[in-house]
Amino acid sequence: MTFTPHSSADIKTMLDELGLSSHDDLFNHIPKELYLSDDIDIEESKSELELIEYFNNLSNKNIQDLVCFAGDGHYDTYLPHTVKSLTMRPEFMTSYTPYQAEVSQGVLQALFEFQSLVADLTDMDLANASLYDGATAVVEAISMSITKTKRAKILISEGLNLRSVETLKTIINTDEISIEVLKYDKDFIHKLVATNDEIACVVFSLPTCHGSVQDYLEINEQLKEKGIMSICLIDPSLLGVIKSPGTMGFDIVVAEGQALGSALSFGGPTVGWFATKKEYARLVPGRLIGETIDKDNNKAYVMTLRAREQDIRRAKASSNICTNQTLNAIGSAIHLSWLGPHGLREMGYQSMQKAHYLSDKLSSNFLLPLNNNFIREFLVDVDTRTPEEVIRKMSKKGYLAGISVKKDNKKYLLVAVTEKRTKRELDGYADALQEVVYG
Amino acid sequence: MVSGGNASSIPLISGSPEPTIKDLSSKGRKAYNFPKLDVPDKLIKNNILREDFPNLPEVSEHDLVMHFTRLAHRNFAVDLGSYPLGSCTMKYNPRFADSIAAIPAFTETHPATPDYLTQGNLSVLKEIQKILLEITGMENISFQPPAGASGELTGLLMIRAYHKEKGNQHKNKIIVPDSAHGTNPASASMAGFEVLEVPTNSDGAVDIEVLNQIVDDTVAGLMLTNPNTAGLFETEIVEICKIIHSVDGLLYYDGANLNAIVGVSRPGDMGFDIVHTNLHKTFATPHGGGGPGAGPVAVKSFLKDYLPGPVIEQVNEEIKWVYPSKSIGRMHGYHGNFLVILRALVYMLLLGKEGLSNLGKMAVLNARYLSLKIEESIPLAYKQPCMHEFVVTVKHLKKSHQIRAYDVGKALLDRGYHSPTIYFPLIIEEALMFEPTETQTIDTLNDLADTIASIIKDVRDGLVDITNAPFNLPISRPNELIAAKYLTLKWGDFEDLDIDNRME
Repeated sequence: MTFTPHSSADIKTMLDELGLSSHDDLFNHIPKELYLSDDIDIEESKSELELIEYFNNLSNKNIQDLVCFAGDGHYDTYLPHTVKSLTMRPEFMTSYTPYQAEVSQGVLQALFEFQSLVADLTDMDLANASLYDGATAVVEAISMSITKTKRAKILISEGLNLRSVETLKTIINTDEISIEVLKYDKDFIHKLVATNDEIACVVFSLPTCHGSVQDYLEINEQLKEKGIMSICLIDPSLLGVIKSPGTMGFDIVVAEGQALGSALSFGGPTVGWFATKKEYARLVPGRLIGETIDKDNNKAYVMTLRAREQDIRRAKASSNICTNQTLNAIGSAIHLSWLGPHGLREMGYQSMQKAHYLSDKLSSNFLLPLNNNFIREFLVDVDTRTPEEVIRKMSKKGYLAGISVKKDNKKYLLVAVTEKRTKRELDGYADALQEVVYG
Repeated sequence: MVSGGNASSIPLISGSPEPTIKDLSSKGRKAYNFPKLDVPDKLIKNNILREDFPNLPEVSEHDLVMHFTRLAHRNFAVDLGSYPLGSCTMKYNPRFADSIAAIPAFTETHPATPDYLTQGNLSVLKEIQKILLEITGMENISFQPPAGASGELTGLLMIRAYHKEKGNQHKNKIIVPDSAHGTNPASASMAGFEVLEVPTNSDGAVDIEVLNQIVDDTVAGLMLTNPNTAGLFETEIVEICKIIHSVDGLLYYDGANLNAIVGVSRPGDMGFDIVHTNLHKTFATPHGGGGPGAGPVAVKSFLKDYLPGPVIEQVNEEIKWVYPSKSIGRMHGYHGNFLVILRALVYMLLLGKEGLSNLGKMAVLNARYLSLKIEESIPLAYKQPCMHEFVVTVKHLKKSHQIRAYDVGKALLDRGYHSPTIYFPLIIEEALMFEPTETQTIDTLNDLADTIASIIKDVRDGLVDITNAPFNLPISRPNELIAAKYLTLKWGDFEDLDIDNRME
């Protein structure tokens, strides 16, 4: 199947009109040594029926139906069919970036609603139209703080997940910017405030990559006095039960948006959220959709502040971003609208109750270092075993047991519980973990 | 014959704005449903817990579905009509690939699942790796970059790491043609390089004389598309690569225009060291209104240790995630846009040897033919034979009839076609760039050319004022100045503006 509609008569007509005698003549100007004379070395075309079998075989190489207790930013939340089917609308799926506003009001308005929903939910002034994912959104936030403050040092909380740290260390130019990791301890704030004036931003995570939570309001007030920008990576699917980051005074809020609107997808495509205060609007990376009016005074939506972007500003652009994650952002907008205030609360509340139920159950046999200061994700000390070994053995019992994370040079199992988990699964998990670690 | 690519029958009802989902909200309505909590409801205390509800709309599921379906109706798409947007490769996206990308064993994999449990997903990467390397003529690959621009940044960070390792820190300049995509210079400066522009000569190609003059030992590399952004094959590419390599610079291939040369020529054979491919262009994965895309980066083997990781490696019977020894790090939270990569593999296997070998040939045939037809009403910017896209200019109409490229694009929208890319490349005055792709029929190409001819004729005859077009769409021309001046980025913001300001 080639999807090229040309009959041999069509090809002849076209070549005749072009005054060419063969198809190869189209390429007479290409140096001979660069022109491929042989076919590409791959297999013959396969039909859809053959490919269904082929991909079913490939997918069967994945160990399937593991009950998921892995989290760390990506969660096995329930994705309603309504979201899946609406984001599969061909008008959303097969359109380009909405440069031509008159024929793109659908995508533009959907993205405007995404921006509005994200801003409302996080209690920030504004949000952009999406970034690649949570990790890259952290990088964009840091870059923006460096541009804004013109300072050359950034502080990263030890609660920021490893993948985000690796990504920012890759992309931020460490020849010019120094990066320091902040430990959680009692002197945390004092140390911060006492440091010199070279700090552009501090990056926090809520919850941390170890599952713990805290209110950052007081810290943020002190950072503000120092002119240090405060950035937080959040899990937005918890905002039905925990205080919003806007009320805690962050300057930039970024999120891994997978749990709202995207399947787990092996990590991609998902979506990065980016929200900030109005005063920073002109520094925001990525696309921004604004409301305006058309020539007839009707409501209209357009991409705006385009002068920040790479295709106009080129080497001086606020970011190099072009294609990002529109369809996943629309998925977030639809999922949030489906949930509403009560649904998002229910989702978070059930996760929290089920996580605490499991933690209570495990606490009789395992050391749980967070002491209940968590919402839906917590650390388990697997004693003499390594988390990797536990994960391998638990997979044979039908569970994806969690993720191996480090804290204070010790490895723990990070266990996440979503609203999808049933009491039976939680009880089964507790029994299996007991057996694997102590059996 | 009738054009299958003309969308003038789509039922877009003009005039009435669609309310927002917030306008549709009313207290007490709901769409969600969850099972009852099946564990004991325990009192959990934590000062981070909120008392109030989050600020979200309350809508019924039917209202929700109607709203987003109506929004879909207000949008042009590849599935509705011909989308000759130059540089974007808006070809048909096979529906079949979507069905494979919806197989739960693929979509439901948590990204932290260890490699020994996800051999199916890693096999997908292994299969597409083989094909992509064959098509590009490269040797190693990383699937980390989630889009083309991210692929560019990846390549540039690798160039930086490579020179640093060799002790060549003084190599701090990247050469970019003045016709390049904006992402090229933006990525180069993000990677900490100074951007040096090389001009385009009167034939639309890189000016080799100037290139020779500006190249010195401080040059770290050059970024180029081939065919270039004017749709022309850089016939001196081997010489260009020699010049850059002679100062130990590296050659970066921007894969935005790869569609023209699949089965025709290979970047690896031309002399490029690093290549990114836009799977959402060349390999037919849906653009999604501006993403998700995927921009895997392939390199010659001497650069493989610098690739962002993890990358896959076959170790005995198992495919494993490994980190290259001098890896620049990570460009994405996990493994790139896996489901996009999967769709691209489905497309490649559907096309197979014959389809992929002829892909560039058919794309170029369509473009060359369309250029011949459109040239009858609007002159080409360059006379050289085009590859998969071409640029025409209406600078003469601007003089004679005050008509701009922008207006011609809008007039096309009114007549059932998407606008071509306008004002790009920046070096061509009043540019319109057409890329028909290989999936359009000759009838659609003829009708598109006829439609353009009739627009131009009407303008010349003074029958229509397209400076106010479009007239038949959900909105007329939006006021972009108001949008940029007042920055109403969230619902309610616009209504809060002073009415006199709004009407200026």
